[in-house]
Amino acid sequence: MAVRMENGFKIVGIRTLPREEQVRPRGRWDKGSGRVFTGAVLVLTTIILGCFLCELFVARDPGYLDLRNYCVLPGREFLFGTDTMGRDIFAMIWYGGRISLTIGIAATMLSTILGVVFGALSGCAPAWADALMMRLVEILLSIPSLMAVILIQAILGEANVFSISFVLGITGWMSIAKVVRSEVRQIRECEYVIASRCMGGGFFHILWKHLTPNFVSSIMFMVVMNIRSAIVAESTLSFMGIGLPVEVITWGSMLSLSEDAMLANAWWIILFPGAFLVVALLCFTGLGNHLRRNFNRGQSNL
Amino acid sequence: MTGNRWGRIQYLGEKLLILIVSLLILSAAVFYISRLAPGDPLVSYYGDRVEKMSLTEREWAEDRLGLNEPLAVQYACWLENALRGDFGISYKYKLPVVTVIRERIGNTLLLGGIGFVLIFVLALLLGIACACHEGRLLDSVICGIGTVSSCIPEFWVSLLLVLVFSVNLKWLPGSGAHTAGQTGDLGDRVRHLILPLTAVVLGHLWYYAYMVRNRILEEVGADYVLLAKAKGLTRGRVLFRHCLQNVLPSYLSIMAISAPHILGGTYIIEMVFSYPGLGTLTYESARYHDYNLLMILCMLTGIIVMLCDLAVQMVCKRGTEKGAWP
Repeated sequence: MAVRMENGFKIVGIRTLPREEQVRPRGRWDKGSGRVFTGAVLVLTTIILGCFLCELFVARDPGYLDLRNYCVLPGREFLFGTDTMGRDIFAMIWYGGRISLTIGIAATMLSTILGVVFGALSGCAPAWADALMMRLVEILLSIPSLMAVILIQAILGEANVFSISFVLGITGWMSIAKVVRSEVRQIRECEYVIASRCMGGGFFHILWKHLTPNFVSSIMFMVVMNIRSAIVAESTLSFMGIGLPVEVITWGSMLSLSEDAMLANAWWIILFPGAFLVVALLCFTGLGNHLRRNFNRGQSNL
Repeated sequence: MTGNRWGRIQYLGEKLLILIVSLLILSAAVFYISRLAPGDPLVSYYGDRVEKMSLTEREWAEDRLGLNEPLAVQYACWLENALRGDFGISYKYKLPVVTVIRERIGNTLLLGGIGFVLIFVLALLLGIACACHEGRLLDSVICGIGTVSSCIPEFWVSLLLVLVFSVNLKWLPGSGAHTAGQTGDLGDRVRHLILPLTAVVLGHLWYYAYMVRNRILEEVGADYVLLAKAKGLTRGRVLFRHCLQNVLPSYLSIMAISAPHILGGTYIIEMVFSYPGLGTLTYESARYHDYNLLMILCMLTGIIVMLCDLAVQMVCKRGTEKGAWP
């Protein structure tokens, strides 16, 4: 057990233990994370490309009411069947995804901008204003976002793609604002921020050049999750008949025919659009979780 | 001891003050938003009667609601009426808002309350089960199912449940809170609750189970677990007596934060099952432009959420004060 050193001394009495692996054995779930991520990106790319290039491979007009063929079972002619109004579900899914995804992304862009600006303002503000603004955020968070969306949408009147993105955007920024604010509070006293301020940098200049690069990784997860929840909210609203009307094809408005479908026991009308929706949401979740694991270690996800 | 009690009263007072201020701000926000609504606010307050009102009556009504005053004064007027329990009438039901809500709120609290408790208990059990079998098949299966199911929108789960169990198998009723004419029948009531309750629980269960699992896994790595094990305590005893005590407070506060999500989810599920609760009422009031009712519903939901939050804060505070939990 003795190790001879170059200078002639010997080290005695070392117990060499097998090096213990410090990392806890991770579950199969964690190990598969990389593969899940690749899969999610692949499927998501397919869905997005498919939705935005659907003219190339979908021959039928999704809005065409084929009154002779309504509630047709999935088959060779109608791949996923037709709905109670005789529209081809396969075509509708691809065209509908276009609007659903657009709304999700537009709403998230709005909520991210609002959240970042509000959070940064709150983070840079003096303590009393900061407390006030955060209290406001907490109050807004206490209304279930669905209620707020329904209230504002009811007041804006007839929904269209813009109004619904707008409403979803202005009801979804609070959690991002909270994270941005706590990050900004940590870094606002940094020398480079003070230096920039001394040199006459404006609020938006500092926000964009110095603050944003610091918190962008911690809000990425929430941004992706916001896309997800905006898509869910839109489909829920359209499904209930408060959101987009049946003529505007989205995954949610396709499901709003489900009551008729139940009566006809037409499972395909409910199953296929919903399955597409769920797959898209799963991909967003996989993407978000990957981002959180790799960019946001040790951060709270609340 | 008295100092401690005094401190607690002070703490309670502080919390209550914050609650009241929050309620004021909430009501002001909702009030202003709803005043942006198209249409005559008189209509939303008095309904169709407005058309039959004479000019003097109209003036009296406008004066009473203070519609000629600036918005801030209007809000004060409205608040004064509200404090007296007068929230105006529902445009659709031609009844005072309070009456309409009183009929429905019990149903929602029943569904939401049972759902909340079920989610709480089941998520804890599932989380413990996963943590005990970390990395093994059971764990990965549960986590896999959990991730998938957390991505399924509530309304779609409800639709599938109705499609399978109500339309095809005809086992359970798919809508309403009881069969028409059988109001008092408890068994019938329970049968109507099963599907909505399943939807509520399925939508939220996994997220919390996963959270419990991760918290417990963090906890079992701590030194005191090793000590307890060295003392000769059994695995179950260490887990339930020691680890769980440390996990519970944070779990409780997470559950409190998630009260709005669960309540919002309950609303959606109520709409799918046309279960006569606040959710269905919200949907109807949005559909029929019943702004007055919608406004009160928004506020009520906010109040329920804030109260849940306050209750849990108190419980957690008590737990930490005593030094032991529970």
